[in-house]
Amino acid sequence: MFGTGLANALFGLVALLCYAGATLLYVVWLRHPQVSAGRMATGLAGVGAVCNFGFLYARSVALRTVPYGDLLGSMALFGLFLAAMSLILEARHHDRSLGPFLMPVSLFFLLLSFVVPGGGTPRPELRGSVFAFHVTLNMLSYSAFAVACALSLLYLALGRQLKAKRHNILNGPVSRFPSLSYLERAARTSIGVGVVSLASGLTMGFLWAYRVWQEQHPEWLLDAKIWGAVATLVFYLWVFVRAHRGASPRTTARLAVAGFVLVLLSYTAVNLFFSKVHSFT
Amino acid sequence: MASEIVFVGWNHQGSDLDLRARLAFTPERAREALEGLFREHILTEGAVVSTCNRAEVYGVSDVPDSFEALSAFFSRFHSVDAAVLREKALSGRGEATVRHLFRVASGLDSMVLGEAQILGQIREAHRRAAEAGTARAVTGRLFQSALECGKKVRTETSLGSRPVSVAGIALSLVGRIFESISECKVLLLGAGETVELTARLLADDGVKQILFTNRSPEKAKALATHFHGWTVPWEERAKAFADVDIVLSATGATEPVVTAAMLKPFLSRGRRRGPLLILDLAVPRDIETKVDDFSDVYRYDMDALGELACDNTRDRMADVPHAERIVEESTQKFLCWLAGLAHVDTLKSLHERFEKARCEEIERYAGKLSRLTAEDQAVVSRMTETLLQKILHNPTIGLKEGDASERLTRAAVVRALFKLDDRA
Repeated sequence: MFGTGLANALFGLVALLCYAGATLLYVVWLRHPQVSAGRMATGLAGVGAVCNFGFLYARSVALRTVPYGDLLGSMALFGLFLAAMSLILEARHHDRSLGPFLMPVSLFFLLLSFVVPGGGTPRPELRGSVFAFHVTLNMLSYSAFAVACALSLLYLALGRQLKAKRHNILNGPVSRFPSLSYLERAARTSIGVGVVSLASGLTMGFLWAYRVWQEQHPEWLLDAKIWGAVATLVFYLWVFVRAHRGASPRTTARLAVAGFVLVLLSYTAVNLFFSKVHSFT
Repeated sequence: MASEIVFVGWNHQGSDLDLRARLAFTPERAREALEGLFREHILTEGAVVSTCNRAEVYGVSDVPDSFEALSAFFSRFHSVDAAVLREKALSGRGEATVRHLFRVASGLDSMVLGEAQILGQIREAHRRAAEAGTARAVTGRLFQSALECGKKVRTETSLGSRPVSVAGIALSLVGRIFESISECKVLLLGAGETVELTARLLADDGVKQILFTNRSPEKAKALATHFHGWTVPWEERAKAFADVDIVLSATGATEPVVTAAMLKPFLSRGRRRGPLLILDLAVPRDIETKVDDFSDVYRYDMDALGELACDNTRDRMADVPHAERIVEESTQKFLCWLAGLAHVDTLKSLHERFEKARCEEIERYAGKLSRLTAEDQAVVSRMTETLLQKILHNPTIGLKEGDASERLTRAAVVRALFKLDDRA
């Protein structure tokens, strides 16, 4: 894990500590909205994201290629995208309420990248811009689906409290959630971003696979990972289209949560246990 | 008589609406009143706080019975019977004045506990008095401290952060569901006072699409014309639910005018987009409770809104002791500052009074002292100076000891004993 150098390890460790601190402070802020706790959480999340980038950059220098050709790197990239999206949404809407939900996921994936084995020296075919775009766009789509999932969970929680006419809709942590219509719109946009980037990422992947695997692994088109990713794309495309055509926001939110479970399965279990050619080794 | 911070006022606790209306100050009238109070030497500093629930004057006065003088002045100024004013007035001096203003700024003295507008009204009163030059060192500091105290109470407690009126709760619910009320399309059922008031508030908030529907179409038409809205035929009211974001109903009907069965064709799966907030302000209800079963529909009736208001009032009440502690701390802090001011002032006056007496005595014996050599005369002068210093040593220390109230009391005693306020 630490074979990619001291700088790599140092950046990774600092990013991890910052994400952990930011998670803690975001949760504290959600319970007791003190300005200082919120600002410190944002600051730590920002420093964490910069160090997460530094971690990937140092790894990239050491590997002399994109640093996310293996599971370790892709998980670290996923953590970075999530932290960045959380910060962008926070800055865009002056609202910290997504931080307590997205930052733990960033922390989890960065932590996981410390646990899973690294791929060692990447194979020569994993170099090149097509492969880099394929992984980057796919990870971007997964992050967008994760954000949509977090927004949808907030939508469902807030909607439930509003239906029940609970006292805490105007006080306490739930009162700091954004409005239902914002959550619904932002989740729809996230799904849209995810669909476009996943479609682009898969196209790049097909191009790369056709060039590299056609001779070595002619059966690549039947691989579980490929079909898992295509199924995810079709599912989210369907969710996006029906949401745009006026489907119930509550049903869309439920589908977005279920969809992210599919993404997680496709990203972890399918990669590790079912895929033969697409196995991060 | 030493200068003292004083206040006199008439608020919702002691005066009825008619009297408060007669005593209200416009900015111009407030300025005129302060000019009059200065002209008649009733106040040397001052500011007027005038809201729909209170008309109060704060300032610094040298007059022995400032309450009587202020009441008499306002009786003439507002042409109101002096006896009525004296009977209904709230007044205070010194510490009581400071505590009262700080409680007012914190919303603890408001009709609706913790209401937020009062802080802005106090800021405005201070600004106007500062511009007129009537808020000087003490009054200026008093109002600044009151604003700080009010802000602290609002930051550290839930007072002011939770709406307690039905209108406030309804507005908060809109904020929980929609990003901006001005972008919402609103349907109003009925044509009574509540609907008219709501339409006015919505128009003030920039809502551009207001639909009116009423059993009597003429009334709906009149409201729609007045508020630049549209009318919906009463028979098509259920259909309109599919196309709006907020529904507010306040008819005088004795039975629900909108039922779940009526809405089913328009609110069931895929027929409408986004959440729908229904505010049923009618008693008895206008909208059937079964409407709750529709997905993404949030219905609040008077029971639910009232319950939320009660919960928030309870929360605010629970925070009153904390707010009172903040007021007390702020009051003591201000009195400390004021006592420091009084202590310096008193010491200065005391030393000047003794020095004057010493000089007068030296002057009185100047003839006899002239027989002494210049060196001996200097010795006598130094000796009297030292004597004064020794006599004033303990009073000087005593005036600095104790808490703020004690220091103020001691300063008042010293001023009275040595007649420091006599101009002669």
